[in-house]
Amino acid sequence: MSISFQKTVLDNGLTIIGEHNPHAQSFAAGYFVNTGSRDETPELAGVSHFLEHMLFKGSDKRSAEDINREFDELGANNNAYTNEERTVYHATVVAERGEAMLELLTDMMRPVLRQSDFDMEKKVILEEIAMYEDRPNFKVFELGNAQFFDHHPLGNSVLGSNESISALSREQMQAYFDKRYAPNNMVLSLSGNYDWQAMLNLVNELSQSWKAQVTERRFPGFKPSLGEMTRQDEKLKRAHVAFYAPGLSAQDEARYAAFLLSNCIGDSSGSRLYWALLDKGLVDNAYFYHDSNDGLGVYQGYLSAEPERLAEVTRIFIDTLLDVETNGLLAEEWERAQRKLATSLTLRAETPYGRLMSLGPNFLYGNDYQSVDELVEKIFATRLESALELLARKPFSNLFTYTLTP
Amino acid sequence: MTRDSSISFQTLPNGLHVVHEAMPWLPSASFTFLFPFGAAADPKTYEGSATVLYDWLYRGTQSLDSRAFSDELDRLGLRRGGGSGKEYCTFSGSLLKSSFKDALALYKDMFISPRLSDEEFLSAQNLALQELASLADNPTQQLFETLSLRYFASSHGNSSYGTEEGLLNLSAELLRQSYAQRLSPKGAIFSVAGGLSWDEVSETVNTLFGDWQGPEPALPKVSINKGEQEHILENSMQTQIGVAYESVAPNQEGWYENAVALSVLSGGMGARLFSEVREKRGLVYSVVAVSRSLKDFGYTLAYAGTTPERANETLDVLLAELGKIAQGISQEELERARTGLLSQLVMQGESSGARAASLARDIFLLGKPRNMDDIKADLLALELSKVNDFLAHQKKPEFSILSLGPKRLDEVLV
Repeated sequence: MSISFQKTVLDNGLTIIGEHNPHAQSFAAGYFVNTGSRDETPELAGVSHFLEHMLFKGSDKRSAEDINREFDELGANNNAYTNEERTVYHATVVAERGEAMLELLTDMMRPVLRQSDFDMEKKVILEEIAMYEDRPNFKVFELGNAQFFDHHPLGNSVLGSNESISALSREQMQAYFDKRYAPNNMVLSLSGNYDWQAMLNLVNELSQSWKAQVTERRFPGFKPSLGEMTRQDEKLKRAHVAFYAPGLSAQDEARYAAFLLSNCIGDSSGSRLYWALLDKGLVDNAYFYHDSNDGLGVYQGYLSAEPERLAEVTRIFIDTLLDVETNGLLAEEWERAQRKLATSLTLRAETPYGRLMSLGPNFLYGNDYQSVDELVEKIFATRLESALELLARKPFSNLFTYTLTP
Repeated sequence: MTRDSSISFQTLPNGLHVVHEAMPWLPSASFTFLFPFGAAADPKTYEGSATVLYDWLYRGTQSLDSRAFSDELDRLGLRRGGGSGKEYCTFSGSLLKSSFKDALALYKDMFISPRLSDEEFLSAQNLALQELASLADNPTQQLFETLSLRYFASSHGNSSYGTEEGLLNLSAELLRQSYAQRLSPKGAIFSVAGGLSWDEVSETVNTLFGDWQGPEPALPKVSINKGEQEHILENSMQTQIGVAYESVAPNQEGWYENAVALSVLSGGMGARLFSEVREKRGLVYSVVAVSRSLKDFGYTLAYAGTTPERANETLDVLLAELGKIAQGISQEELERARTGLLSQLVMQGESSGARAASLARDIFLLGKPRNMDDIKADLLALELSKVNDFLAHQKKPEFSILSLGPKRLDEVLV
């Protein structure tokens, strides 16, 4: 027996995919809901993330305490996350407890949103916002995104603000939920060791009452900001800089070349930026990567350094990008990046959880299934010439930088 | 050599422990080299030397300069990990199993014939200074580094980031001497897990490392300070609260009972701390208690982050829950904790990196690798009456409390 892939769409529009691995001892499942801060209006800022917390607060059948206790009783490793364009609920258990876990996870997807729970959880969300205020390496991207994406919704903050969260009502959240958590706007992904038919029957029965809806995502035109912006914050001791350049969408085949290109530029070891900045200890951190989103992508980078050196290290960072843009990369560099990415993909695929986390988003973007072997092949088949074509569009001549400094 | 189900363990004549776990279904493998030197053994006035040495070692060999060496590791697709801690440094790597032999030959050169050039020393020193300075914008990490310093009377309080003075006092010459004393096969551990056979591993390690000789490194003894409460004034949005107290040392009776107690406190979302501090009161986003093990000492670190006006209440609830565990746990709590710990074992068993790290750590702390079936049997054997008996007879924890934020907290220690 070897690894196999299954897919079905239920009558209510819920897509279920599964990658079965007979050697696995565990089973991982996740609901990948196609909604995030980019789908919010300004008065709803932060509702996707707040709602993510509220799904743990109980359904018709269960209280918050029940949900937490039952996950523990199953020995589950479970969590959730929200970003600009998706909200994900996932759990991993030993294979024998697979059905019980999926029943619980599925039940959570129809929360009751009690007023008392809403009020209590609002305090937790405000604490989370306060926590990130103390993390400039996070904050610089939240502020930078808003400026770089300008009026495009990908610039929306995932957490929202103190003001938007304080003003948010339970009714607004319910209305958002009703619109966004339709079965046709999510993918259930399964990975590891499980019985496909049994899982299908279970979810089919539990989701009988879920109604398909017309759901939309806005794809307005995007004009990336250029230039630089700086914000002073006297609490800070270091300078933090976020770098942005327009990239490739999650649906664009050229994104593989963009991943490899970014790896050559900004991987944690052996990359251009590593040698230019970290190796010599000019900064305490510097990296660069490519982020593919629904319909549009972005190259992003970061550095943190002492304020006195800000101008010098920012210059080196940008010059490194421009040098690659002008002179391209060496064949050996490209091959090293291919090997590193191939190893990373293979390692992540050791566990059902690791596979789950790449299967789900890929389907939300409407892409076809790819096995790990196919993905690795694709990485090795991606030619350096493809990156040179991307560089010919001069992405790094159109940089935007956002700086937080004391 | 002992061979127990899928685990093989051997100590070479030069003192290097070699352990292997077969995961024959994997195309990948992960390894960890653990050397028993860390911040706790940093000489006085040279705090941070373990960290700089760790970085310096990666900067080339006699035959390859820093860049060529790094390129070779990358060419093999090797993903590096590890770091320098209180008692030991780990150099770990994950790769496709076909690259194993080539990668190990590079690691051999890095340990036995490193380049250690003056120029690279300066770069490593600079980077360490930058990383130390970056703590100023990371209040949570700052809290833990300072708490550790206050909690331990021995050098185990040393931060692996070092001190500015200690880092500046270092020189290439001094650190070369330190290398000769610290990098040794004696007491070092090499663990590997994944799709390689024991024969492949054993042959490669014996060939490459069999002739290496070196001195026995000394580990300092742990001692702690009397529990105190202190506060660091800092202009932050949240107040960070950290609590440290002694628990069970590795190899000591009550090791699994303590693991269960900690799981009841902080194992999952149904655990006591999450439930009492976050779910019922909405005081925090993050609250957690974790177990920390040194060679002959165990302690618990608890953490909560909250806005200043709620910091006193948060500390009160946190301490109340930590204290209450002595009154015992319920049968349901024991079962949940047991299930959670058993389940973690299964999941860890699927990841080569997690297994390699865990095997190395077990040998360092316990002197031998633990096989999954033995851990499982020990966990299944736990009985409620014995767990509660153990908890009731634990010495009352003496808390060391440190907070960091814009407002001082009320004194809670009497």
